[in-house]
Amino acid sequence: MSIDVFWRIPTHGEPGSHRARDPFRGDWFPGNDNKTLSGLGGGGDDGFTYIDYLAEIARAAEISGFQGGLIPSFPNTDEPWVISAFLARETKNFRFMIPFQPGFLNPVVAARMTASLQRATGGRALYNVITGGGGPSQLWWGDPVKHDDRYGRTTEFLDVLKGIWAGGPFSYNGQFYQVEDAGLPDPLSKEEYPEIYFSGSSDAALASASKHADYYLSWLEPLDLIKEKFARVKERTDHLGRKIKCSIRVDIVARPTEEEAWREVSRGFENIPKEILDRYIAQNAGDSVGANRQRGLRPQTINSYKDFILSPNIWTGFSLLRGGQTLGIVGSYENVAARLDELVQLGTDAFILASTPHLEEAYRVGEEVLPLVRGKSGASNLRAVA
Amino acid sequence: MANQFYWQLPTSGDARYGNATKQRRGEASDPHYPVFGNGITDPRRNAFSYFDYIHQVTKAADLAGFQGVFIPDNPDGEEPWIVAGYVGRSTQRLKLLTQFDASRGSAVYAAKNAVSFQRYTGGRFAWHITEGSSDEHTRKQLGDFVPKADILARIDEFITVAKGVLTTFPFNFVGRFFEVQDGGFQGPLSDREVPSIYLGGNSAEQLELSAKHADVHVLDAASHEAIAQQIAAYHKLAQGRAVAFSLRIDVLARETREEALEDATRFLTQTGATIPADDSALLWPGFAEQHTGAKASLIGSYDEVAAALAAYAHVGVTQFVLAAVPHFEEAYRVGTHVLPLVRQLTNPAHKQAA
Repeated sequence: MSIDVFWRIPTHGEPGSHRARDPFRGDWFPGNDNKTLSGLGGGGDDGFTYIDYLAEIARAAEISGFQGGLIPSFPNTDEPWVISAFLARETKNFRFMIPFQPGFLNPVVAARMTASLQRATGGRALYNVITGGGGPSQLWWGDPVKHDDRYGRTTEFLDVLKGIWAGGPFSYNGQFYQVEDAGLPDPLSKEEYPEIYFSGSSDAALASASKHADYYLSWLEPLDLIKEKFARVKERTDHLGRKIKCSIRVDIVARPTEEEAWREVSRGFENIPKEILDRYIAQNAGDSVGANRQRGLRPQTINSYKDFILSPNIWTGFSLLRGGQTLGIVGSYENVAARLDELVQLGTDAFILASTPHLEEAYRVGEEVLPLVRGKSGASNLRAVA
Repeated sequence: MANQFYWQLPTSGDARYGNATKQRRGEASDPHYPVFGNGITDPRRNAFSYFDYIHQVTKAADLAGFQGVFIPDNPDGEEPWIVAGYVGRSTQRLKLLTQFDASRGSAVYAAKNAVSFQRYTGGRFAWHITEGSSDEHTRKQLGDFVPKADILARIDEFITVAKGVLTTFPFNFVGRFFEVQDGGFQGPLSDREVPSIYLGGNSAEQLELSAKHADVHVLDAASHEAIAQQIAAYHKLAQGRAVAFSLRIDVLARETREEALEDATRFLTQTGATIPADDSALLWPGFAEQHTGAKASLIGSYDEVAAALAAYAHVGVTQFVLAAVPHFEEAYRVGTHVLPLVRQLTNPAHKQAA
């Protein structure tokens, strides 16, 4: 069994490096309205839209050997269903990992969308099912259902999706969803069922994941927590007579030497505005159990980027550099590969990696880090250096 | 404003023959529809899918001078939003008129996905919102248990919420079907063009909903007199709120009327339908409805069909959604031979260069 490695698509725009927010790619940065890249094209509207940049990243990722990419969805970003459909024709192998909250779609519509996307891409669609809320309240999204009920709804949604997938007829009378004699039409019903990556740390989440997920997906957390979490989800799944794999989503900074990698982080840290650091200390929002667990790892005092070093090569300040998760891996190519291998030893079967800028770093990580990862087989693909 | 012509994409199969309803061009070999005999090797394997064919039809419509494509929602076919994205990336001008019904889920989520379409296409996305099937069991098969009496009310709320989050922050709404608190898109997602909204139907309630929300009211194929009456009925009800009118109609146009009748007869024979004793009419009700969904088809010479389309324009139709089987070849034929004539008839100043 080899390890599946995915890349990530920066749907929120991104700076040109970890070091500074500016110059910024995409129109999320004030003053960069309607532009894909800032500082290029002489200012003004450059005639491109952000999908042109995302297309470059998807191509870079598939050329560099990644399975595909996670296409995250946030309140201010473009939606992964749309991005996947737009990029279907200009990619060959890239697998579109689509995060979505099942509550937002009628499961019959979702099944048709997925089957059509499978047909359009030769079976390259897969899910990252999300249920717990981060960011604004669920009612911003128009969703009135409460946290623990949402996992029940996710379970029902996937019950229906699976039931109708191969053509049915399938009937279901749930609390949230009902269908009668439902089924995907031929030939949509011949497509492969999408692989499901499942996120969520609460008990309600694990209950739903153990029933439907192929991969349990976690952010990077301290290794003992990862170990315990993976053990918990595997135990619950065994109990149901199923097998589940585990995966980790993590940011990395990989450079030829460890010193260069930390220099990158250090420069980025120096450029974080003070108000962002202050807000970081005060921050407390959302009902996501995973996000709250990560907030518990914050240092008590902050004087330098070093206060965020949790263990060798593990840095907890990533959310300060570009939002999102806090833990990431910083080091030489060998360091990063070694940390990934440690996670494999703890039971990781797949990774979703990311680094800034996602375009150039896709090539770097694909060329320099992935060949050093031993995976489960134990033998790395070390190249002879003349 | 000049008339706009949309070409319908065949989202649930397309074929040359009337009796080949399930055929999907480009589809990997299906044991029920063998392609070549033993004498010929087939080099395609799984290199193509039906989506490649849909893409070709789209490009044909673009090259042949249509202003947009209509992506119908046939529950037996491909999902229209995925089709819209798939063809949106490689076209620059075509409007993407995408059909769906309000049972698809959250109106906020639909609006958010629409923003991405608008950002990536320069505002070419348009919504044709239908009531779904009139048959309750069919709707339940599609996961929709809302009673028929509530369908229009749900569409009303769906559009209100979608427009709200697209144009307002903070947007709050509590309705029977949807609820939003402090909603609305910000940053690069804010201030995006609301997709043009197409609604249809001839009842007073449907016309009122169009008057409230629609940019375009969709009419099913009918005689010129009937279309004129429907447009008059709208104006009587709408109290001054203007919409454009779109006509969904098929065409079977050939160089001569005889050839058109020959092909029409062949098509009806293949489908097992009755051939009308009197074939003098231009408008044939139900002609290819099973294949295209259109209520009727214009059948005649290029000149006759163009004149009939121009006559609809004369009574107030400004947008046409056309289709003919097979969709790829016919897109070129209609674009090459019919549309220029209609443009000349409706706008005499628009002369083809000699």
